[in-house]
Amino acid sequence: MHDTTDWTEKYRPCSLGDIVGNTSAVRQMYEWAKTWTPQSKPLVLYGKPGIGKTSSAYALANDMNWEVVELNASDQRTKQVIDRIAGSSSTTGSLSGAQRKVIILDEADNLHAHADRGGARAIVDIIAHSRQPIILIANDYYGLAKELKKVTEPVQFRALQARSIAPRLRYICSAEGIACPEEVLAAIAERAGGDMRAAVNMLHAAAIGRETLQAGDIHTGEKDERSTIFDLVAAVFGKRGDEALLKVSYDVEDTPDTIEQWIEGNLQHMPDFASRARGYDSISRADEYIGRTYRRQYYTLWRYATALMLLGVADAAGGHGIHGRITSPERWGKMSRSRRQKAIRTELLRKLSRETHTPQSTLREEFFTAITLLVEQDPARAVREFDLDADELTLFLHDKAAAAKVVREVAKEAKAAEKKETASRKKTGKTKAETDPPKAPEDAKRPDVSSGQSTLF
Amino acid sequence: MEGNHTIWIEKYRPRKLADIVGQTDIVVRLQSYVKSGSLPHLLFTGSAGIGKTTAAVALAREFFGDAWQMNFREMNASDERGIDVVRNQIKQFARTSPLAGASFKVLFLDEADALTTDAQAALRRTMETYAHTCRFILSCNYSSKIIDPIQSRCAIYRFRPLDREAIALEVERIAAAEGLTVTKDALDAIAYVAQGDMRKAINALQGAAILSAAIDAAKIYEITSTARPEEINDLLNLAVGGDFEGAERLLDDLVRGRGIAPNELITQCYRTLVKRDMDRGLKVELIDALGETDFRLSEGASSEIQMEAMIARFVLAAEKYT
Repeated sequence: MHDTTDWTEKYRPCSLGDIVGNTSAVRQMYEWAKTWTPQSKPLVLYGKPGIGKTSSAYALANDMNWEVVELNASDQRTKQVIDRIAGSSSTTGSLSGAQRKVIILDEADNLHAHADRGGARAIVDIIAHSRQPIILIANDYYGLAKELKKVTEPVQFRALQARSIAPRLRYICSAEGIACPEEVLAAIAERAGGDMRAAVNMLHAAAIGRETLQAGDIHTGEKDERSTIFDLVAAVFGKRGDEALLKVSYDVEDTPDTIEQWIEGNLQHMPDFASRARGYDSISRADEYIGRTYRRQYYTLWRYATALMLLGVADAAGGHGIHGRITSPERWGKMSRSRRQKAIRTELLRKLSRETHTPQSTLREEFFTAITLLVEQDPARAVREFDLDADELTLFLHDKAAAAKVVREVAKEAKAAEKKETASRKKTGKTKAETDPPKAPEDAKRPDVSSGQSTLF
Repeated sequence: MEGNHTIWIEKYRPRKLADIVGQTDIVVRLQSYVKSGSLPHLLFTGSAGIGKTTAAVALAREFFGDAWQMNFREMNASDERGIDVVRNQIKQFARTSPLAGASFKVLFLDEADALTTDAQAALRRTMETYAHTCRFILSCNYSSKIIDPIQSRCAIYRFRPLDREAIALEVERIAAAEGLTVTKDALDAIAYVAQGDMRKAINALQGAAILSAAIDAAKIYEITSTARPEEINDLLNLAVGGDFEGAERLLDDLVRGRGIAPNELITQCYRTLVKRDMDRGLKVELIDALGETDFRLSEGASSEIQMEAMIARFVLAAEKYT
């Protein structure tokens, strides 16, 4: 009988001690598990694919002798489903005699907006009611629903170094009885781009049916395209002929819009400003074709975009070559920042709209200036009234440090007020439900607001 | 002959991995999977008509023998692109146990890049959870449209566009089986028309075979409504040489006389220009003129006016560079 198991499953680490790299994340998980009480916050393990998040969660459960209940994006995660599966396991003890049951919620950043209606809400509820440990797993921390971030503790996983991937591959080779030279292992580790699972898969795919591996055997398994997009950028500035240049672009499996960003990001390598301007000219023309391609859904136009940006920029560069480093497009960093800004703005509008019973579009178009003025006048009050966080307040104040300070102070006040109230409640013997919700100390912070302005609207 | 009524691309689709032409490296690896009885998840990438589906089906046939249809399922992701297809249909197939003593099933998901990101996210864990009962083969045109977590779960095979030799080999095999004679020029013409796409090549051959059993280059160009490479060169030479009337006459002859579609002419001009040895700046301008014309035609502009204006632009651009 042949062994048909997937190596990534077969060699999934059983214990936290076997996890490669990410020592501080592993330590954080271990500490959390050791000191776990029903009051502990659930963990969110986040980071790129294939670097050990799911494995660590399972390894931890194994080490602690916890039973595992898993829910992932391939399951439907509406509120009812989560309630049914995790809800029962989160409040009741385990039958199998294991000490506890850990609920692992994979792909928590992938709650589908429609098919998983109420999913994030349900998870928050489960977290609130659970008497069992919960671990959430996500690729993109920013993709996580805000209410989830509030009630969880983040654990960051980082991409692995090639030099820490190689020893694991060596171990697998010896366990499988495969002879593989060191440089081949190093090459696989390098190509995997920090992704352990990709590395193990590459090794597996190359090793099936072989007993020895040579350098040529792994060529099909390349995961990362960066090496070739770098080649393409270098070729554009180099002396290659037109056909050869376009051929490199076919090898790079990136779409013209990505290639365009890379070339534009490296136009500073042009010999002089006139050539740089000509380069921009070609790229902007190519960009027009890309826009037309998408607008018209007419993909034939892509080839003109590719030809114009490659041949046009190459013509402007005149085979000058690149003297310096090829850099990845700077705009991407900015884009991810602006995506985050957008997420914050959306959340803010949602909050304001709920509090003021006004449609978001109306708020955005007609009231935003007015709100901004009011918030600037008394930021602390706005924070209290709309439950703003530092990011949201920064949108109004344009001063990160000041916004953070205001939010901190309001939080401190609220805590003090709560303490005072608990004390007075003890005195009067009232239950919490009967008391008013904690109020911020009014006398301290709102001196010159006239009664007509009792709310912001 | 009964075969005349079937479509040749199906009739002659290779049943065995060994019969697939032009992808030797990949075929050898896939054969060794069969030999060892072990299979990782696979991701096939590459343009249309170069053997991705054929390889997946042939692999399943060799893996499962007679039981292949029970354990192999082909789905096209561009028909059903949503998350529900992953959660229902795909999962349903993946979770049930393999039949007839096979150790796993194979799900072939064609055009996987058409799946929405949500659907791909749902797929990734399914691939792992059911790996003991089901292996996935995904195929796509651009691997960059497949999310990283899935790429990380697959062995990736990049299929290359087929070269002239590979196309000629397959065309000759079919010609022999159908009792056709194909001249060397006709093989060149088929390779030119096919552009690395075997489906196009076989369709051209079948089309020409309806006209006659003796196939030469002229029949291939005729049946596919393609201009000969020399004619495209003439057209460009005339325009770049400043002979607008001459170029206009040739254009008219090709479009109206021979019924070649303006789009097809533009495509052929593009391919010829890219290869042509000439000033790079002028080349870029000419390609831009082609692109602009292509775009305007797609917007519904009149093809006669646009094509002539394009030739005029060629003449004018060339004057600047002489």
